[in-house]
Amino acid sequence: MGELSDAEDDLYHAVARLAQRTPFVEVLAEGVSGLSVRYNGRLASYQGPPRIRGAVFRAWTGGGWTEVSVSGLDAPTLRFAESAIERTLTHRPAREPPPGVSSSARIEAATPMTRPIRDFGEEEMLTMARDVHAWVEGSPDIHETEVQVSWRQDDRLYLNSAAARCSQSLCRVRGIVTPVAMENGRAESDRYVCGGVGGREILDGLRPEGARKAAEKARALLGAKAPPFGRRNVLLSPSVTGYFAHESFGHGAEADQFIRGRSYLQPLLGSVVGPEILTIVDNGAYAGAWSQIFCDDEGNPAQRTILVERGRFTGALHDRATAAALGASPTGNARRSDVFSRSFVRMTNTYVEPGEATFEELVREAHDGVILEGGVGGIEDPQGGQVQVKARMGHLIENGKVTDLVSSMALSGKVLEFLRAIRGLSGQQDFELDTGSCGKGRTDLLPNSAGGPYLLSSAVVGQA
Amino acid sequence: MSAPRGRDAAAFRIADQLAGREPWEVFGERIRRFEIHLSGNSVEMTRGPIAIEGYDIRVFRPRDGALGVGSQASNDFSAEGIRAALEDAERAARYARFPAHRFDLPSGRGATGGIVEVLDRGLWEYPMDSLENYVAALRTAFEGRSGYTLSFGSVRATLIETSICNSDGLRTGYGHTQVELEVAVKAFGGPEGPPPGEYWLNDSDRRLRPDDVPRRADDWCRFADDVRRGSLAPTGEMPVVLPPAVLAGILPTVCGGRLTGSARLHGIALAPGVKVASEMVTVHDDGRLPWAPMSSPVDDEGVPQRKRLLIDHGAVSEVLYDSLYAGAFDTHSTGSAFRGLSSGMRTWYRFLQPPEVSPSTIVVSPGDGGSDAELVERVKEGVWIQEIGWSSPDPVSGSFGGEIRLGYRIRNGKLTDPIRGGTVGGFVFGPAESPSLLNRLQAIGSKSAVVESVSSPPILVGALPIGGER
Repeated sequence: MGELSDAEDDLYHAVARLAQRTPFVEVLAEGVSGLSVRYNGRLASYQGPPRIRGAVFRAWTGGGWTEVSVSGLDAPTLRFAESAIERTLTHRPAREPPPGVSSSARIEAATPMTRPIRDFGEEEMLTMARDVHAWVEGSPDIHETEVQVSWRQDDRLYLNSAAARCSQSLCRVRGIVTPVAMENGRAESDRYVCGGVGGREILDGLRPEGARKAAEKARALLGAKAPPFGRRNVLLSPSVTGYFAHESFGHGAEADQFIRGRSYLQPLLGSVVGPEILTIVDNGAYAGAWSQIFCDDEGNPAQRTILVERGRFTGALHDRATAAALGASPTGNARRSDVFSRSFVRMTNTYVEPGEATFEELVREAHDGVILEGGVGGIEDPQGGQVQVKARMGHLIENGKVTDLVSSMALSGKVLEFLRAIRGLSGQQDFELDTGSCGKGRTDLLPNSAGGPYLLSSAVVGQA
Repeated sequence: MSAPRGRDAAAFRIADQLAGREPWEVFGERIRRFEIHLSGNSVEMTRGPIAIEGYDIRVFRPRDGALGVGSQASNDFSAEGIRAALEDAERAARYARFPAHRFDLPSGRGATGGIVEVLDRGLWEYPMDSLENYVAALRTAFEGRSGYTLSFGSVRATLIETSICNSDGLRTGYGHTQVELEVAVKAFGGPEGPPPGEYWLNDSDRRLRPDDVPRRADDWCRFADDVRRGSLAPTGEMPVVLPPAVLAGILPTVCGGRLTGSARLHGIALAPGVKVASEMVTVHDDGRLPWAPMSSPVDDEGVPQRKRLLIDHGAVSEVLYDSLYAGAFDTHSTGSAFRGLSSGMRTWYRFLQPPEVSPSTIVVSPGDGGSDAELVERVKEGVWIQEIGWSSPDPVSGSFGGEIRLGYRIRNGKLTDPIRGGTVGGFVFGPAESPSLLNRLQAIGSKSAVVESVSSPPILVGALPIGGER
């Protein structure tokens, strides 16, 4: 179902016909395939991604961009979309080309796989889920453990009237173990995740010790103390560091926020915003990472973009419109959730580069404070320059030592104050990237990854 | 047109080809969507029609005292496409196992569930004109308004024909509209003052109401100005007032996590009769509330929606079920099967995801706390939380909390200075000694408002931890 080659001729001819009516038109077609199994000991469920294909046409008119999306790639459906675009062009003909450079890239790329995922059948997936489930069976106080094993292949074909042709096939594979502990009506959970872009070999990374550790943490959370509240030294675990990078410099550096005049970061471009040890990167070309792409949905190749280099804010993320408006080049960050959703400037894999300290050194340096562990999510505030991230749990730091476990908490703070207060980053040995998703506002979810090493700073924390 | 009729509705076209494969269910949607995006006060992009037509086939195969449930969504209506989707569903059912003792699909012919107001007729008939009118109202509301601008915005309207069939003879459907509004308003203030503040609204509704825009724009501007002037929250445990806009980000997820058949099967449900809240708390789930985003004549399995008592004077009353989970506990569906929820954000096309058990609209019964001002009068020193950045409710533990995007200090029974930054959080259910939202409740206001999937007055919680200034 994911294959798109059967529709390419029709798509090509539709673009060619529309190109006679407008200076620029493009089409993105998509098809998905895959399978997901969930197992918890009593219940097993299977879910394949929808057998759905579709396309979105975008054309430049006299009044800006117009788009039409359709589900289906058969000739009558594509003709319906083409006609709708034609009608708009009749009412609003374009006289000038759109701002920005049209991609003319020719890209043909697919996820390399050591072990092809398509060979991974229903029965084998269930067997794997049962095996993983058995790793934590019998763990004390663990009421239930859900195991999810899934893969999803996303095929996209991009064509435009400037002769670009970009075909990419991305396969995301993931295993998730969620143990739930329960005692006297109180329930707590933790998650152990292993995932990336690749084939079945990704799942070889699922280890019994990881699953058991998650079960132990869920159980320990039943007796966790309430977290402190107020300003504290905070030591962020790699996943929480990732959420911080994503919500602060990720969303804040999406250049459509510059155009909207709502990024607190825009006037700081070129300025020092943090210590020399701090480098933040968005890297869509990161091989194997959850949000790896070969090209974006405007046909521009994915790339590594340095947002903060040694403490200096150096770059932003662009699509063709923002690049044109701000005198920059597209950075391969124009992304659509699917062909029914519009393109925005979006992050890919956003992370803080490792430093040189060890975890133990950072704990000693903090002396008193709290470790935030297990990033759950966050939200940006591009205009106000604030950031919120939530951690599933944490530990107190008292007199330079890790002490009591505390339950879930949120961190809130002004990004620039937080950056100025950074006192250390741990090294490559702690670096992790997660397998998450991100919305633009409250819609348009797409695969996203964030990460980094341990990071020491200070911020306001509180129960959450 | 308010309901799909005849044989051309998405589900009906599939149903005709499934004879002999009982039991089965088909959920179909035919969708048209239109969007206008603004950058500043200008139109950046128009989108539409975004045309989607698709279906999901679910099959139920009894096996070894359990059910194998398989489903497959598709937009391929050709005979070959339907056959392929059915084969995928059958294959999933062979390996799946759901511990249901029995299973009852809803039956009947024709529309069921009566009339629920969920369709904006003007929008249905003239979608793009309606959107353009709304955007014109939005732009007009900010023209000539000194010190405030629109940073960006979007209005997205979705027109949906939902159809549901099953092998027990159910053939039902209805039309409905959904509107998503995103608006960011910036307040500048004077040159000597703090930097601009932004109020960022994400709202969902069933209808477009351009006449409301001027009034709402006044509120947005006031909030943006207060964001600009706000200072960090105080630190400590203190009385907190939470309005319905904040409760909307918390209660549906936590109630869905602990008061459903799904939670019961997973062993984390709160049992009927258990005291989980103050005596003054009575909570319903109402699937028929006019214009509420989750209201509909029938749920996504075709079972009529109704009003269900979840918490009665502080004690758990009813737990919600869809047909599948009802079968696991030898009870009946409460009309609580909803699709499009599994990503954490409700999707505007639902046929891609199988149903889950979920509340519709959580209705907190009004109390004797009086007006907003009277509720505040009860507080000597505390905080009114207008907006939490993301309240991050955890359906398992029932915890919630996040950054205070906008709040107000309460001093001697009056709302005073705006607050911006800091955290607030706790648990929804929990013993009184914990920071429990419903057990530490001191008063419930007397006047309800519907915000997203919650209808509630503001509530006054005796003490919640606030993290803020030193």
